[in-house]
Amino acid sequence: MHDDSGLSRRMFLRAGVLGAVALAGGRPLAAAPTLVPPDLAGPDDEMTDAVRTMLARRFGSRPIRPGHVQLDIPVDAPDGRLVPVILDIDLPPTPESYVSAYHLIVDHNPDVYVAGFHLTPACSGGFVETRIKMRRTSYVRAIAEMNTGELWSAAVKVFVGLNGCG
Amino acid sequence: MGEPRSGVAVTFTIPGAPLSEGGERVGEGKVLIPGQIARDSIIDVRALLSHPMDTGFFRDADGKPIPAFFVNAVTVSYGVEEVARFEWTSGISRDPYVSFPLVATREAPIRVVWKDNAGGVYEQTATVKFA
Repeated sequence: MHDDSGLSRRMFLRAGVLGAVALAGGRPLAAAPTLVPPDLAGPDDEMTDAVRTMLARRFGSRPIRPGHVQLDIPVDAPDGRLVPVILDIDLPPTPESYVSAYHLIVDHNPDVYVAGFHLTPACSGGFVETRIKMRRTSYVRAIAEMNTGELWSAAVKVFVGLNGCG
Repeated sequence: MGEPRSGVAVTFTIPGAPLSEGGERVGEGKVLIPGQIARDSIIDVRALLSHPMDTGFFRDADGKPIPAFFVNAVTVSYGVEEVARFEWTSGISRDPYVSFPLVATREAPIRVVWKDNAGGVYEQTATVKFA
């Protein structure tokens, strides 16, 4: 009886150690995705279907190329209710070529199209600044639409603490 | 709001419009421009409106859903010319703020009109005067 309990305790302890080893061995695998640097690919890096649908509806098959537009937004936003954004372009404004609109998209917001800023040549030569809400960690995309029809884009992954959208 | 720095507040509060938390007034607008403006310089126009910008997804302390109530259209005119138009959703933060550039080519009022999804219309004006 006494022996049995000792044996079972030893077995129990051994099982416990094995279990701990198994857990220790298993945990790094499970935790690995959070250790991947944010600039590497993850499940959130793909555009969501909502974003694709919105882009197709708004821009059709027009090519959207990365570059020229500057999206200035904090990478770490503890409060999703208030995330400051600055939109700018590095192309010099001319009467023939100016930004006719900035479009602001957040992949994982309830409404992915957050805002559109339609401008005229009278508004050339500066930046647009505003403050947006974000539901959770997500890509924020800016698209600058030129009067010539060219579309330039930029994307930043923003890590959000508090849900600002509900 | 204090004394207006530029322009005069023209505020419309629609009857029955839900008040934001704390019962503060909805729709007090400010349009701020630099005090000294040189002709043909690029100025920053800053427009701020007091508005709850409710998304419709939150609930109040009693568990009742707070209906969506947000500014969805903003127009900016400079004199008689419309120079900018913003389409917004509830994804813009409460008390929506926007700053945009404007080439000050003439002395004329800058008029910003905000419209919300409940039919509220709020406007504010600042006048460009060259030093």
